[in-house]
Amino acid sequence: MHAQRRSTLLCRLPLALALAAILPAHADSGIGVDTWRANKLDPTAGAQQYTPDARGTSWLIAGQRRSPTGNPYMCPAEPPALDEFGSWIGYGVLQVGAIATSGDDRNALWMRYADWDSGPILGLLDYTWQRPSDGTYANVRASRISADDQYYQAVFGRAGAYKIQAFLRDQPNVVSANARSIWNGIGSDRLTLPAPLVPAGSSVADVAAVSAAAGERTLSVKRSKQGLGFNMFLSPRWTAYANLSDEQRKGARPYGGAFFFNFPFPANGGALETVKPIDDHTLNLNGGLRYAGSIWRMDFSYSGSFYRDRYTRYTFQMPYALWAVVPGSAAAPLTTGQMAMEPDNDYHNLKATLTRTLPLNGEISLTASAGRMSQDDTLIAPIDCTGVFGIGLGGNLNPGPANPFLYRCSDWNTPAALSRRSADMRIDTSLLDARISLQPSSDISLRGGLRFNRDDYRNGYLAYNPLTGDYGYIAENGSQGSIVPGEVGLFNPITAPSNITRVRSLPLDLQTIDANLGADWKLDTKNTLGATFAFNRYEPTHRERRRIDDNSLKLTWINRSLDWLTLRANYTWKKSNGDRYEFDPYEFTYSIDLPGYVPPAGGTPSHTVEAMRKYDMSSRDGHKIDVMATIMPREDMSLSASLRGDWNSYDAPIGRQDYQTSSATLQWDWQPRDGTNISAYAAWDRSQLRLSNVQDQQNGAGVDPYLGGPNYALSGQWWLRDKQRNFYGGATLDHRIGRVRIDASWNYTNARGLDLYTYAGSSALAYPASVTGTGPGGGQFPAMTYRVNALTIGVTLPLAERLSLRVFDYYERGRVSDWHYLGFDAARVIDHRVYTDGGPISYNANLVGVLLNVQL
Amino acid sequence: MTTALRSSLLPLLTAVSLWLASASAQAQQSRDALARTLPSSTLTGEEVQASRTRLLAAPGFARARVAGNPQAPDAHAIGEGSCIACHQLEADHFTHTLHALGLHAANKADASIPVCETCHGPGSAHAQSPQTPGLIIGFTKASGTPVEVQTRTCLACHKGGPRDHWSGSVHQRNDLSCSDCHNPMANFSAEGLLAKASINDTCAQCHKDIRIQFNRRSHMPLPEGQMSCVDCHNPHGSITSPLLKTNTVNETCYQCHAEKRGPFLFEHAPVRESCLNCHTPHGSNQNTLLVAPIPFLCQQCHTGQRHPNDLHTAQSLATGAHPDERVMGRGCLTCHANIHGSNAPSGPRFHE
Repeated sequence: MHAQRRSTLLCRLPLALALAAILPAHADSGIGVDTWRANKLDPTAGAQQYTPDARGTSWLIAGQRRSPTGNPYMCPAEPPALDEFGSWIGYGVLQVGAIATSGDDRNALWMRYADWDSGPILGLLDYTWQRPSDGTYANVRASRISADDQYYQAVFGRAGAYKIQAFLRDQPNVVSANARSIWNGIGSDRLTLPAPLVPAGSSVADVAAVSAAAGERTLSVKRSKQGLGFNMFLSPRWTAYANLSDEQRKGARPYGGAFFFNFPFPANGGALETVKPIDDHTLNLNGGLRYAGSIWRMDFSYSGSFYRDRYTRYTFQMPYALWAVVPGSAAAPLTTGQMAMEPDNDYHNLKATLTRTLPLNGEISLTASAGRMSQDDTLIAPIDCTGVFGIGLGGNLNPGPANPFLYRCSDWNTPAALSRRSADMRIDTSLLDARISLQPSSDISLRGGLRFNRDDYRNGYLAYNPLTGDYGYIAENGSQGSIVPGEVGLFNPITAPSNITRVRSLPLDLQTIDANLGADWKLDTKNTLGATFAFNRYEPTHRERRRIDDNSLKLTWINRSLDWLTLRANYTWKKSNGDRYEFDPYEFTYSIDLPGYVPPAGGTPSHTVEAMRKYDMSSRDGHKIDVMATIMPREDMSLSASLRGDWNSYDAPIGRQDYQTSSATLQWDWQPRDGTNISAYAAWDRSQLRLSNVQDQQNGAGVDPYLGGPNYALSGQWWLRDKQRNFYGGATLDHRIGRVRIDASWNYTNARGLDLYTYAGSSALAYPASVTGTGPGGGQFPAMTYRVNALTIGVTLPLAERLSLRVFDYYERGRVSDWHYLGFDAARVIDHRVYTDGGPISYNANLVGVLLNVQL
Repeated sequence: MTTALRSSLLPLLTAVSLWLASASAQAQQSRDALARTLPSSTLTGEEVQASRTRLLAAPGFARARVAGNPQAPDAHAIGEGSCIACHQLEADHFTHTLHALGLHAANKADASIPVCETCHGPGSAHAQSPQTPGLIIGFTKASGTPVEVQTRTCLACHKGGPRDHWSGSVHQRNDLSCSDCHNPMANFSAEGLLAKASINDTCAQCHKDIRIQFNRRSHMPLPEGQMSCVDCHNPHGSITSPLLKTNTVNETCYQCHAEKRGPFLFEHAPVRESCLNCHTPHGSNQNTLLVAPIPFLCQQCHTGQRHPNDLHTAQSLATGAHPDERVMGRGCLTCHANIHGSNAPSGPRFHE
């Protein structure tokens, strides 16, 4: 039953490689990813090791010049030492050495995206060949921290003619370093319980003992990617490009596993944090032709992406037995749960842009794009079980008319139980974009844009079992119907005509129209004012609104009046509203919409409260400011400051009511002399999100959807404020004393989040009997904190003309507290809840490195 | 003459036609003028002719011409040799860049192709009065060259492609120059002739508030050098706000998270609409870049009857009086694990 997909990517790869060899391509700022390859040892891919030229930038002017905004340029590096090979010249650097880590060096936060591993490393190999006679060049660059954290790339090209690029890269992503799994088979599609645990027959104590005895392990996902790219000039005006990459992800990560509620049913149900295997490939392709003429420009491109997962699903054994809430009845034993993996999917996109210059120093640009996302993965069966599932009345587990809540697994555990065998889902996308800009005089520029975007869902799914005539699905691996009679998740117009369950997929076709109009006016050579009005009409289907209109007006001011200041400021007014809000547009996806549905006694329960306004659908007023200043107090000094605020108020009695973010930053840079850089920064940001919700009072049977009614009584309303406040600071020093270079950096982050709640009455609470709080009707969760100090100190000592030694130490101290995981250090098994991940933990870790730099 | 045409007030169409008609004559004229002014140490005369028989200029540099400088309309080209006479140190740094490699090779193949003056415009007026701002096209704050002239000069060779939507882009409207982000006078970065050591450092010159978000507990692997701002954004302009490289937010995310693309048998409406409904793209104090802590993130929308709409307190934590799976650990996602969409026939509520 375990469907392992046979990846077709491996079969495709040779073809793809051959294709790449004949097609032009390369990732750039216009298309694709893979624009940068580096690692935490040197995020600049070698540039931070450049030795500043003691001679400075120019014989004519001391110090560094500034960019037009006013930011200081860096001191150029010393020209490389060149070696000649016939008509070629070559230069480069080799950096090899070793690192040693200590302290909590297996901590997940320390290792998240950097697989520090004590031992020898290749810090950097960077070598360039150039043939000046015709501009041909080649470069290789590589770095290896460990087998999971490394990159290699090679480039060959001729300046202004063509460029071929190939790379290999491994990226780590550690998601937990303190996982305790009660299952064997981590990383596979079959999680099994070790002895003495027995599926559907283990005690909480036994499971807790296995969890406690399980060694802590690291769960991570490694991305390994190979890529080829090629771009070239076909003529001075035509260029062509193509890129191909294949990425494998392999590893495991904490995930879920549902066997119904535990909170209302002690010693029942199951909330299992399982471990999901990650084993997939993605093939990405893009290519295109570009034309850049004096009147016309054109860009034709294709992007494709093909995702393939090794598994269709994974299964996990359920350690606990369930019991039915009906006295005297028996729950069928359920031993196995399943989780669908993401389906294999294909993506294609074609795009064409035509741009033409216009009189009045203008241009008009038209873009058309059409795409398709599709998947036709084989569907898994509704349940993985043998025998029966559900509830046997009177303790009798024999299926038949006398046992209406007991179901034969054979009716549901094969694809024959489905209305179709594969998903066959597709979304077609289309986009048209037109924009125009004119500059009728040197002082005035005008611009406008119009954009149309549409997503069309093709096909839909009806959950119908031709073997039984039932509609719906098997909820939570059969557990729900094995605990509560009739809650299996099925509707049948004859045997269960009042059951409300989901029977259809939800197509989410949408259409958006954007329009904008703006103008910029240069008051003088030092001041520019601008205004942009933007309108967006969003028209989703099967959502709470059929139309939402966003309007915004943005005013900008750029000021360069003072030689020592560049100021950019803008203010945006935002308003969003739409047509009537329908609080339950999803009825058609439920059995309520099927022929034969009979409302239960008392009426059909309301799906949700009428006063809810989902924040992506609700009306909103907003204001936004953004101020950036670059200040030049001295020739050798700069200050950069920014202020930002974004305030949004939502028209939502229930739902998100406010979301505000603001920040301030200050950066100081000082270059007292060539080869010496000192900088420091301080920053602060905060956010506040306010929401309200209301607890229903009639145990799921309430038919009145209105706030203030008997079901959604005002006494059940509650409010929450999520407040996040962060401080950041840091400093860097890069200084040369003769040929000795000293560098140091410090970064500090202090994040603190608070969740404060108030409520109208104790009936708002999940557990009214245990009301706690800091005051009447309110309280807060423990602070969620994250505080990190990171310090680097290094010295580079010259050993010979082309040889130097870098010795450095990197220390990181992290203090973290996340209330979701409080108590997990004591126990991960709490009744029928089983947790694998222990959550983030504080750490002190250190890394010492010695690297030999050789100028090749 | 090219400069005159560029600054002409005649309709652009006419100007371009005239320019095309006289292009070959201009090239010959420039080449001859250059040959007369170049010092003897540079390629001239027979040497140029000999090299032209061996090589053709690379297409990317074959059309390089002396840039037009409206602030020095009467200036004429003086050749790289004259520039280096004063700017030797700059030349030392510049000569190892890709621009230098290409321009020098092109100049050897065709001596009419300038080197320094391709970007800086004709140098004679500057040579006569080096202290007067604007007589040479400069790309610095003190250069005296308007930002529009700076960008127009760069776009003379670099227009189109990824820069197709520069005009009207937020960076263009904010009066940024190419040289705010790039400094082609030396190799300051491993790639891209950037003004700072990396793409991320370059963007952080102005977007420090965004850069520090990557210091939060969960973040994209940007501080670790594993990705760059340009993986998602095109700073040269795009048709999708905020400078995204694809048609939508979600398509941008799917570039690396292709497994989330689906479409799934059962979709989660806000997920399909925009990943940013639940995730903040740069960094978050929550796990997995979430906008708010679970369960409150989910409870912004889910107030359906029974279990989703209860107010929990710290008593629902493992250390509390009544531990509750809706709050502990992964919270809602412990059971609704396939929250991005499920392909299981029994997954309409994302349990499987």
